[in-house]
Amino acid sequence: MNALLETLQFVYAPQVVNGLSLGVAVILMALGLTIIFGLLDVINMAHGEFYALGAYLGMSLLGIGVGFWTALVLVPLIMLPIGYLTERALIQRVFHHKDRHILTLLLTFGMAIVLEDLFKLAFGPNPLRPDTPIAGATELFGMIFPTYRLFLMGVGVVIVAAVWWVVYRTRLGAMVRAAAYDRHMTASLGVPVLRVYAGTFAFGVALAGLAGVLLAPVYSVFPTMGKDFILMAFSVVIVGGLGSIKGAIIAGLLLTQVQALSSLYISPVWSDPLVFGIMVLVLMFRPQGLFGRLGHG
Amino acid sequence: MHTLTQRKLLGRLVAAALFAAGSQAALAQDAQPIRIGVVTPLSGTYAPIGAQVKMGLDLALAEINQGGGIMGRKVELLYEDEEANPQVAVQKAEKLFQQSKVDFLTGTVNSGATLAVGQVAERNDKLISTTVSFSDAITGDKCSPNVFRVNAKAGQQSVALAAWLAKEKPGSSLFLLGPDYEMGRSTVAAFKAAAQQRGVKPVGELFAPLDSKDYSSYFGQIRAAKPQVFYTSTAGNDTVRLFSQMAEYGMNKNVTMVGVSGAITAQNIKAIGKNAEGFVTGVGYSPEIDTPENKQFVEKFQKANKVLPDLYGADSYGVLYFYKAAVEKAQSTDTAKVRKAMEGLQWDTPQGRKTMRAADHQAIQDMYVVKIQDGEFSIVSKVDGKDAIDASVCKRW
Repeated sequence: MNALLETLQFVYAPQVVNGLSLGVAVILMALGLTIIFGLLDVINMAHGEFYALGAYLGMSLLGIGVGFWTALVLVPLIMLPIGYLTERALIQRVFHHKDRHILTLLLTFGMAIVLEDLFKLAFGPNPLRPDTPIAGATELFGMIFPTYRLFLMGVGVVIVAAVWWVVYRTRLGAMVRAAAYDRHMTASLGVPVLRVYAGTFAFGVALAGLAGVLLAPVYSVFPTMGKDFILMAFSVVIVGGLGSIKGAIIAGLLLTQVQALSSLYISPVWSDPLVFGIMVLVLMFRPQGLFGRLGHG
Repeated sequence: MHTLTQRKLLGRLVAAALFAAGSQAALAQDAQPIRIGVVTPLSGTYAPIGAQVKMGLDLALAEINQGGGIMGRKVELLYEDEEANPQVAVQKAEKLFQQSKVDFLTGTVNSGATLAVGQVAERNDKLISTTVSFSDAITGDKCSPNVFRVNAKAGQQSVALAAWLAKEKPGSSLFLLGPDYEMGRSTVAAFKAAAQQRGVKPVGELFAPLDSKDYSSYFGQIRAAKPQVFYTSTAGNDTVRLFSQMAEYGMNKNVTMVGVSGAITAQNIKAIGKNAEGFVTGVGYSPEIDTPENKQFVEKFQKANKVLPDLYGADSYGVLYFYKAAVEKAQSTDTAKVRKAMEGLQWDTPQGRKTMRAADHQAIQDMYVVKIQDGEFSIVSKVDGKDAIDASVCKRW
């Protein structure tokens, strides 16, 4: 009995907590992706590169002497206009075409390739890593965790709650949901739909940038960092249901726990194929995902 | 008459002296210098290793030439940059053998380059010797009659470390983690076997891709296995992340950390900082070795180069004395005669007397177990040469 408790405490519990910290990070990425899809019907293939852009902006700010906490606030604010302009200048150009899905997919995919090469040119191929802003470890029920990862979980939960509140409890959120449900009706009611589109895109991108800064001390900053993360975020969005916020949160927690607990028994390298396998199964048997899309609930 | 004789005598003496001097000059002109080709990376990723190779060789060259050369013949070194690229190494070696007519070749760093240049040497019927390459295959299943290795191979390092572990922590449990490619898998397999033979119990092993950013997902299995000893064969920045993250999760508490000698080097020890403390590894050389020969060598090396010698510098210094001893024993530079002289040859190096094993052309030497204390490696144990090597597996002669 004692041995079982000990195993639970020292083997399973740390794994669950570690999975949670990864889960929160993945959810931050998946949220932006799913909101942009839910509203604009655009699959943003460059989402990972916006995450990297946020991280590199953070590194540049740190480089000129700005503190980590200031950078954490500044980066999403800088990302907002970048995202807004990207939507107005690039995505709107192909948005009204009848091949919208393919064209926006190709456009964002191209942006991803260009951005990745720009990072390589500007910052070099080697990984950069900021100092951990909160050093040290914290003991929780006899388990030891890096304090920064615990902080990451706390901040992540707050951000996810804030996004939820904005989308479901504010007038702005109501406009976004309405535009997602029926944009013509919403437009005829006087909502500036095109600006809502650009604003939502900017919001999703800013969220990715914020995740980039938050995760930089854990995962380092390097040109291909977006690719590493985007696959997991896509799996979460697909399993949760394209466009569903609730789905992204629940699938994000579920899949990262599958990863964390399975890597106790198989090599962690194999936990990725396991997650993608679940995604394929969901696509086969429940292609709409676990939950419906934004505005359709 | 009297004066005449004296003058005559003086004249004869002068003539004799002149003749003697002249004949000596003629003799020296007759004896061509012994030419040794050095194919080593002077640029690229491995340039720091190539630099140590050159420093060691140049120091030994100056000493040998000052002492009259080899069999009265001066020695000449001909350097070529191999750029740590086996293809380039092959071209440069071919050039040295064919055009520069070198008698002997050394300097290759990358194990792939050593194997490839070994084949070039076989075709040209010349001998080469590596002073750096670790891969067991060079004097193992891919051994060559024309290739010798004067430095310790990977197997000797892991045997030395395993022997130390078995003595310090008998019967302890061991977890192994390596980078997921040929080098990582072979080092983990070799150390696991060596430790198991000596009563250490392996309780798990994992392989992480090169350049992994987050090792925390690997910690679950390590926690579950509760090892007393943790072995790693990661290198460079991978070790930096692995050790920092293990410390963040308190995974290195009450665990003895050991690994390959390349896991922590002068290049990354600062980045790992205090988390490197207590790390133990097996090496063939350390400037700390406390013998008069080594102290003298370190002093001369430092005076000439302003840096401490590492194992590459020391082994490259030693290879010229290996060649000198072999040629003097053979009284020839003929390949077949020198090869025969090299087999079983004993010669002195800064790290002590080495023996060239005839069965596989692998040098047998004392090995050292070193531990990081206060940010520096210090020797904690010495393993006798014959205890730090397994039987030859070479079957070509």
